[in-house]
Amino acid sequence: MRTFVLGFGLVVLVGGAAAPAAAQWLVTDARRIGMGGLSLGRSGSLERYNPAYRAVPRQATLRGQPKLTIPIPLGIIQFLHDHPHLSSDPAFDPKSSGFNPILVVNTILNLPLYLEVKKAPTPTNDVAFTIGQDSLVVNLGAAAELVPEDQFGISGSSRPFSPGFGFKGLRIGVMGWVHDDVEFQLGDTLLGFLRDSQPARHNTRYSVLLHGLVEGGFAPTVSYAGRIAGDSTHGFYAGGAVHYYVGVGYGRTDGDAGFITGDTIFGGANPVTPDGRTLTQYSKPGNTFGHGIGGDIGVAWVSGPIEIGVGVNDIGATITWPDTRLDSAFYHDSSYSKPVANHVETKTKLPVSYIANLAYTVGNTTLGADVLNTGRGSVVHVGGEQRIGLFAVRGGVARDQRKRIEFGFGGGVRFGGLGLDVGFWTHTNSLSNERGVTMATSLSIY
Amino acid sequence: MRTKWLWVVALAGVAAGCGEGHAIFNVDVYSFIKGTGRDTIPYFVPPGPPASASTFQRIDLPGAGSSFVDSVIVNGKMSLENQAGTGSIGLQLFIAADSAGTLNSSALALTVPDAAVSGTAVTPDTIVGRFNDAVIQLFTGSQLWIRLQAKGTNSGVILLQGKAVIKSLWLTVVINDKLF
Repeated sequence: MRTFVLGFGLVVLVGGAAAPAAAQWLVTDARRIGMGGLSLGRSGSLERYNPAYRAVPRQATLRGQPKLTIPIPLGIIQFLHDHPHLSSDPAFDPKSSGFNPILVVNTILNLPLYLEVKKAPTPTNDVAFTIGQDSLVVNLGAAAELVPEDQFGISGSSRPFSPGFGFKGLRIGVMGWVHDDVEFQLGDTLLGFLRDSQPARHNTRYSVLLHGLVEGGFAPTVSYAGRIAGDSTHGFYAGGAVHYYVGVGYGRTDGDAGFITGDTIFGGANPVTPDGRTLTQYSKPGNTFGHGIGGDIGVAWVSGPIEIGVGVNDIGATITWPDTRLDSAFYHDSSYSKPVANHVETKTKLPVSYIANLAYTVGNTTLGADVLNTGRGSVVHVGGEQRIGLFAVRGGVARDQRKRIEFGFGGGVRFGGLGLDVGFWTHTNSLSNERGVTMATSLSIY
Repeated sequence: MRTKWLWVVALAGVAAGCGEGHAIFNVDVYSFIKGTGRDTIPYFVPPGPPASASTFQRIDLPGAGSSFVDSVIVNGKMSLENQAGTGSIGLQLFIAADSAGTLNSSALALTVPDAAVSGTAVTPDTIVGRFNDAVIQLFTGSQLWIRLQAKGTNSGVILLQGKAVIKSLWLTVVINDKLF
């Protein structure tokens, strides 16, 4: 029983929390957090997603930014205080009956770097189940709002390494790439049962649609970034990269799984019949490589106090896998799987990511905004900083991939080449619409 | 009652609504025993000392595990369908972890007070009660046994005969979730 509950909790948690984790939460710069996660200059996501920024002089985009930021992970102290015996803590021990994977996943998705000033409350409401031999009604109360009506899941594409060498704007290197995508969608009958408290029906299938994909490899890359016009203070920069994607391996599964009710909801020894089917496609590492061509482009314009940039990644990145195996699996009253095809060609596509940013600096004030879309909804940050002598005051607002608005605010003090920054960040977890507040601290070296 | 599959969906809601909320299970027990014969307890009470008759029923539970069963409330209706004689009939519910345990007096979980019966009259009665903590703990296990006992006294000179027929029986189980 606990397994089922924890499983559902994990889905909710991962589905709801991973998006902001990917887009926002791994920021360790208290200054950036104080501005609502805003990326300025070469900070944050700009250089990753806009190839033109490689050519933009670092000095032109500093805008009060430090050369180096060192996070002060006060949250770890709090975490160790809450879990003083981590090695023997049953919640973190998979062999223990008290093992709590939800806590583990939540800890990973929300690394305890920040001090939790105010925890986001979990909802408190009663859930009611009415059960008879031929009836079943579930009323989740306010928690029904948390049952997702639309497709939900996690996805992302990353470039874990990118070594190379360059000369005058030209760069040759090899980039690692990973793409993952996990999606779920409740079927209409299950959605109505859980969200709308519809009674369970006879001879009805209740199911969840499933999709999972993971692929990875490396990509020899030729890129260029340079100033097209202007000088170091007023310049227009452009950048581009061509990748030859080499796929090392991939796996994909699509299907649906659920159960079918009988003539009587709780009649007989087996009141429901599990039912599921999937089509799995894979090309294991060591098999024939996949291949494809794609590219990145970006432009940036820096003119005194104004900075504007746009970057697009993985354009046309379709990977052809020439030697793929397809298997189908089916489960009803018994299970079987059978190969559908082998040594066939399949294709996958990397999501196109884009970023657009704007920054304006006048005197000791910096304002900025950016939009980042990594293939699953846009994340928007708007923020600013006002420097007053030794001090700085910051504020910002962000809209995450779940379209939730979060707020950041903070400040800093600078003594010569050393600064101390504090940033506060509101956040919501997957189980509540109420916000919690975390605090980040970091040392800055200017 | 093989309700294990139900907990998959039902406790999903608990997970979704985790916090300090309760999971409330309204179980229509009567729907599971209706027409099986277990909803009827025949009684035969000869003149003289009190007598009783019982039926046993095993109930499979999903096992609330670390969850804490806060309370269990019983309510329902029954009819005492007397066929002959005069006296009084009451109902007792015994609950234990095994069938033999239900024979212990300490397993008494609920008593429906005696009602007077006579002739061929049908006497409606209600079943209302709340289980004590000892009984509640049994609901955290994977199964329990119940014994329904009709007990009566015969104030007449002929056999008191009839049957207690359950017309409705609901269990409301309130669980404080401790899964997180």
